[in-house]
Amino acid sequence: MTRYFLRRFATMAVTLLAISVLIFVVIKLPPGDFLTMRIQELMAEGDSAAATKADFLRSAYGLDLPVWQQYLSWIGLWPRAGDYSGLLQGNFGWSFEYDLPVIDVVGDALGATLIVNLAALVFIHLLAIPLAVFTAVRRRGIAAETITFLAYLGLATPSFLLALILLFYLNRWFGISIGGLVDPDLADAPFSLEKLASITVHLIVPIVVIALASTAAMIRRMKANLLDELHKPYAVTARAKGLGPTRALLKYPFRMVLNPFVADIGNMLPGLISGSVLVSLVLSLPTVGPILVQALRMQDQYLAGFILLFVAVLTVVGMLIADLVLALIDPRIRFGK
Amino acid sequence: MIRRLLLLAALALAPAAAAVSPGTAEVPALAPAVAAGALPPMAERLPRQPLVADFAAEGRMEGRYGGELRMLAAKARDLRYVSVMAYTRLVGYDAALRLKPDLLRDVENEGDRVFTFTLREGHRWSDGAPFTTEDFRYYWEDIANNPDLSPAGPPSVFRVDGELPRVEILSPIRIRFSWRKPNPVFLPSLALPRPIFIYAPAHYLRQFNARYTDPTRLATEAARRGLSSWAALHNKMDEPYDLSNPDMPTLNPWTVTTAAPAQRFVFERNPYFHRVDPAGRQLPYVDRILVSLAAPSLFAAKANAGAVDLQARGLAMADIPVLKEGETTHGYRTLLWPKAEGSAFALYPNVTTNDPVWRAVLRDVRFRRALSLAIDRHTLNNSLWFGLGVEGNNTMAPASPLYSEANRSLYAAFDPAEANRLLDAVGLAARDASGTRLLPDGRPLRLIVDVEGKAGTLIDALEITAEFWADVGIRLFIKPGDIANIRNRSYAGDTLMVASTGFDNALATPEMVPTGLAPVEQANFAWPKWGQYHETAGKLGQAPDMPGAQRLMTLYNAWCHSGSTAEKQAIWAEMLALHAENQWIIGTVSGDIQPVVIAGQLRNVPESAPFAWEPVALIGAYRMDEFFYGDRP
Repeated sequence: MTRYFLRRFATMAVTLLAISVLIFVVIKLPPGDFLTMRIQELMAEGDSAAATKADFLRSAYGLDLPVWQQYLSWIGLWPRAGDYSGLLQGNFGWSFEYDLPVIDVVGDALGATLIVNLAALVFIHLLAIPLAVFTAVRRRGIAAETITFLAYLGLATPSFLLALILLFYLNRWFGISIGGLVDPDLADAPFSLEKLASITVHLIVPIVVIALASTAAMIRRMKANLLDELHKPYAVTARAKGLGPTRALLKYPFRMVLNPFVADIGNMLPGLISGSVLVSLVLSLPTVGPILVQALRMQDQYLAGFILLFVAVLTVVGMLIADLVLALIDPRIRFGK
Repeated sequence: MIRRLLLLAALALAPAAAAVSPGTAEVPALAPAVAAGALPPMAERLPRQPLVADFAAEGRMEGRYGGELRMLAAKARDLRYVSVMAYTRLVGYDAALRLKPDLLRDVENEGDRVFTFTLREGHRWSDGAPFTTEDFRYYWEDIANNPDLSPAGPPSVFRVDGELPRVEILSPIRIRFSWRKPNPVFLPSLALPRPIFIYAPAHYLRQFNARYTDPTRLATEAARRGLSSWAALHNKMDEPYDLSNPDMPTLNPWTVTTAAPAQRFVFERNPYFHRVDPAGRQLPYVDRILVSLAAPSLFAAKANAGAVDLQARGLAMADIPVLKEGETTHGYRTLLWPKAEGSAFALYPNVTTNDPVWRAVLRDVRFRRALSLAIDRHTLNNSLWFGLGVEGNNTMAPASPLYSEANRSLYAAFDPAEANRLLDAVGLAARDASGTRLLPDGRPLRLIVDVEGKAGTLIDALEITAEFWADVGIRLFIKPGDIANIRNRSYAGDTLMVASTGFDNALATPEMVPTGLAPVEQANFAWPKWGQYHETAGKLGQAPDMPGAQRLMTLYNAWCHSGSTAEKQAIWAEMLALHAENQWIIGTVSGDIQPVVIAGQLRNVPESAPFAWEPVALIGAYRMDEFFYGDRP
C-alpha cells in the first residue's frame, strides 16, 4: 500500500509540473503583458505619463525577464531579487490588477465560492437521486415522463438567460436585491441571523440555475445505470426471495449505481472552485470564477496561473480520493487485484 | 394618534431647524463628533476663504444635509471614477467650461509662462493637517525629482523644449512655477479628469520616503507587503486618483474608508472640504457614497430595481426602455444627456497602413471624401439614434465655442454620384463582374473594417454603411475583435480602417490642448505610425509625410508654445477646418444619448447636460457635492 501511495504521489507531482508549464505558456501566449493592457487603459484616460512609467513598472514586476525565467521564479526554482520565493516556498505571487498578494485576492473569494458550489452540489444530488430512482422504477408512468421532460427543458434552457429572468422577478415579487450573495445594506454588517437569511435567499437563484442543467444529466445517467441493474439476475433473485420492493431496490441495485458517483469526485472537487463561472459572471457573485476571467483578460499572469494550478491540484487530489474511496466501498475493486 | 402628533411636531420643528443662522449650523452627521470634541466646529474646519458655490448662476437651490448615494462599479479599480466625478482639482472647469480656481484661491498667469498659485488660508486635508505649499514642495522635490520614484524625471507637462520650471515657494500659501517659454499645457493638465497631481500629503507620505524615514525599516515594511523596494511602497500608498488607500488623506468631498478586496466601498464626507453653499454651509450635502461591485451586465437590471441613486457609467442608450420601465415602481428618474463626442460612429482610414497599394489609396483625399459622400447619414440617424442625432462630420459639438457649421457639413451631404465621380478620378474606375471596383494592382476593393466586438451600435452602423458603399462599388467587410487586439494590430500597421467613436472631447475651448486633432498619439487609429513617431521622439514609427498632416503638426507645436488665447483660437479653427477638408476621420452622426439614473428626490442635478470624459469629467463639472435629497415630489 505504501509503495502504491508513493507511486501515485510521484505521478501527481510530475503531472502538476507539466500542467504548470502548460498553464504558464498559455497565459503568456497572447502578445503583450499586463502592463501593455494597463498602459493602453491609462492612455485612453489621458494619462500622458503612462508610457514613461511602463519601463519602471515592468522591471519592478519582473516582466522584462525571459518567459522561462519568469516561470521558474514563479515556481520557486529561480532566484528573484536575490532569494527563492515561489510556489514551492509558499509564496503564491502577486496580482497586478488588485495590487495585492494572490492569496489575499483568492482567499477572500474562496468562502463564497465553496458556499455556492457546495450548496448547488447538495441540491443537485438531493433532487437528482430520488427523481432518477423514481423514473427508473416507474418509467412508463405519466409522472416519470413529465419529470424527464422537465429535466430536459432544464438542460436546454440557457442558464444565463434564466438567471436574469429569475433575478428580475424575485426582485419584483419578493424584493430580493439583484445579484451578489448578500443585500448591499448588510454587506459590511457583522454576521447576524438577518445576514444569514439574506445570504440564503440570494443563494436561491444561483443554485437553481446551476443545478438545473446538471440535474437533468445526472438523472439521465443514474436512471440508465439503474435500469441496467434492475433486470440482472441478482436483483430478480432478491425479489424472488421475497424481499420487499424498497429493500430489494436500495440494498443491492442502488448501491451498485453509486460507483460512478464516487468515481466522479475527481471532477467534483475542482468543480467546487471553477464551476459555475458563467453563472457567477452573470449573477455578479463574489466567487473565484469572475476573478479568473478578469485575470485572464488582463493577463494578470500570477493570479490566473495560481487559480488554474489550484484547480489542477484539486483535480489530481480528487482522482486519488476517488480511487481510494472506490476501493473502500466496493469489495470487488478491493479484492479484484 | 401619538405617532401622528409626533409627526406634526417634527414637521413644525423642521422649518425652525432650517432657519438657524447661516454658517453656524453644524452638519448633522458631524454634530456628535463636534459635540464630543473630536472635531472642531465647521467655522474652524473651513478654510478662511472657502470656495462659495455660485448657485444663482447655476440655477441651483440650497439643499439640506443627509442621505447617501448608491452607485455601481464593475471592479475595485473603478473607484477611480469616483475621484473623477467628485472632481476636486487645483483648477477645474465649471458647467460653462470656464477654467476656474477650485482648491486654489487664486491663479496669476503671466502669458502662460509664470504661474503663481495662492492657496486658501487654513485649508486642511481630510485628516485635519494643513494643506500648504509644503505639499507642493514635497511632490516636486521628493516625488517628481526623486530618481527612485520617478526614474524618468518630472512628467512631460513640466518640460517646455526640455526645460523644467523654476519652482519658488513664496510663502506657506504661495508658490510659483516659471518657464522661459509659454507652457499652455500646464493649467489644462491640472483640470483633466485624470489630472497631474502636483501636490501630495507630505505629512502622511514622509513616513514611506527613504529621505525622511529609516531605509531599513522601510525595506522591512515593503517586504512584509510583498513589495520590492521603498519606492514601490511609496507608490502604493500614494494613490490620489485610484483611491485604493483609505489611509491617505484627501481633499475630495468624500474620502474612501474601505480597502480592497471588498464588495462594497463606503465613502464618508470629508469634514474639511473647502466648498460652501451661498449660505456658508459646508458642502457636500450628501453624507456618504456607497459603491457596490456588480457585473456590468447587471447595471441596467439593478437600476431598474431601484438599487442606485446616481449612475451613468455602464448604462447605454440600449438600456433606456428597461430603465424607463422601472421608474414609477421604484421612484427613480432616467435623465437623457447628450454625449459630447465628435461622432457616435466614426471611421478611421489608416493612412499609415503597411500595404503600399492601400496606403496610396487611403492617402488620396478624394478617396476619403468619396467615402464620406457615399454615406447616407440621415438613414443612419433614423435607424440607430431615433433621428435624435446630429448628422455631419466628426467635429466640435454646437455647445463648444469652436463650433462651426461649415466644418460639420463639408463633404458630409449624401451624394453618391459625386462619390462615384471622385472614385473614378482616383483611378479606381475598373470594376469586376459583380460591380466591385478594383485596386490599381487588380485586387477587388475589399475594405476590412476592424471594430470592437462588444460595440453593438458600431457594428449595426457598419452593416448599414456597407450597403451605402456597395452602391458605389466598395465592398466593406466587418471584422469584430477584442479592442486590445485591434489596438495592437493598428500600432503594427495591419489595419486598413477602424470604426470607433469620434473626438473624445467635442466641447473644447481654445485653452484645451488639441491632442486629438494632431498626429501625436499612436492610439489614434487614423495615423498610428505618425503618433508613434511623436511619442517615441522619432525612435519608432514614421514622420508625418503628407502636407496636411505636417500642417497639423506645425499648428499643434505652435499651440504648445502659444501664450495668447486669440492665437490658440485661430490654431484650433484652422485644425478643425483641416479635418473637415481632409476627412482624416470620417464622422457620421453625433449626439448619442447617455442615460443618467438618479433617485427621484435628488435635486440640483441638471436635467440635461453634455456628458463626456473630457472636459466635464463625466458629471464632475456639474458639482456632485451640491446634489441633495429633497422632498418626495
